Amino acid sequence: MTVSSTGTPTTRVIGGLALLITGWVVVSAFFITPADSVQGDSVRIMYAHVPTAWIAYLAFVTTAIASGFSVARRHRTLGFDRVAGASAEVGVLFMAMTLITGSLWGRLTWGTFWQWDPRLTTTLFLFVTYVGYLAVRRIDTDPRQRASRSSVIALLAVLEIPLVHFSVVLWRSLHQEASVLNTDGDVRLDGLMLFTLFSGVVAFTLIFVWLVIHRQRLTTLSDLERVVGLDAAITARRAENSAGVTA
Amino acid sequence: MDLTPREVSEAPRPRRRILPAVVAVLAAVGGLAVVAVFLTSSVDYYCNVDEVGVRDGCADDQRLRVQGNVDEGSLQSRAGQTSFVLSFNGVSLPVDYEGEPGGVFQECIPVVAHGRVVDGILVATRIEVKHSNEYKAENADRLDQAEKTACS
Repeated sequence: MTVSSTGTPTTRVIGGLALLITGWVVVSAFFITPADSVQGDSVRIMYAHVPTAWIAYLAFVTTAIASGFSVARRHRTLGFDRVAGASAEVGVLFMAMTLITGSLWGRLTWGTFWQWDPRLTTTLFLFVTYVGYLAVRRIDTDPRQRASRSSVIALLAVLEIPLVHFSVVLWRSLHQEASVLNTDGDVRLDGLMLFTLFSGVVAFTLIFVWLVIHRQRLTTLSDLERVVGLDAAITARRAENSAGVTA
Repeated sequence: MDLTPREVSEAPRPRRRILPAVVAVLAAVGGLAVVAVFLTSSVDYYCNVDEVGVRDGCADDQRLRVQGNVDEGSLQSRAGQTSFVLSFNGVSLPVDYEGEPGGVFQECIPVVAHGRVVDGILVATRIEVKHSNEYKAENADRLDQAEKTACS
């Protein structure tokens, strides 16, 4: 069987919608939303920074849930493990974008690219944890072994997310407290800014779903290739053996 | 010899040990709690102006990170030297900084100054703006109102 694409009509619709909404977010962020009264134009970084952070959280929670199902179903199917791995990869990508955009915003607003304050430090810790998770996934060549080890890490690593999110409440931080997902429920953004921010969340969510679907299908094909390769090797070995007996 | 491959599912599956997994989760949660308690007691990013020389970890004979609002009318820039007064909870601390603070530094905004207190003045080597979590459209009337509120 030859597979030339991991796309389906559904993924094409998701991809198209993602492109459309991302286009709107770019136009709105750069040309329609106003500058902030204190930050000026640097506020526009928020429309990428905040959604990438939230979607990274979503990705890591998805990894944990899929890992939970993988463990609960005793690895009878590797589908959940593949979703867990794909989601973690996309989460790490988004978390890297969060760190980069946050660093740029920090330079413009705080006057520094980086400080070891609670929010920045815990975010970096979360990022490094999932880089480690992805590294562990690559240690085992056997998919079932991979699923067993990585599931445990995923279920533990997700506990870091509340620590990251509430770090600005638990400790004194240079990073401001949440403007939307805060403890008092007040939203501290002007209307159009908030709408563009949520458009960004929708766009990045669609991109996340699109990437995870494609990535887990690629992993499936990769695992399949490994099995087919093993079959071919055994067949070749048997042929060699037969030739040796008849010679 | 039959080398017919696969059917991994037919291989005997090792018995799953639940107890070690539960212990590992409890240990991780406990570890996080310990880290949280540790961080709470010693890794606050700054001391407020009114805590300098009063609160544990804010002794005025050591290098500090001090947070407060820049007093209205206190900002002076002369020959590459920036001076202003930092206030919080009714306590003020003069700050001297060599250079131009970066970011969106201005009066009536919270900042964190890094440095040492010498003769009652914080000699800062770094100034960071601590932005609030409010985002408002740029508008002259609003800006005036915000500054009045922040400095009142």
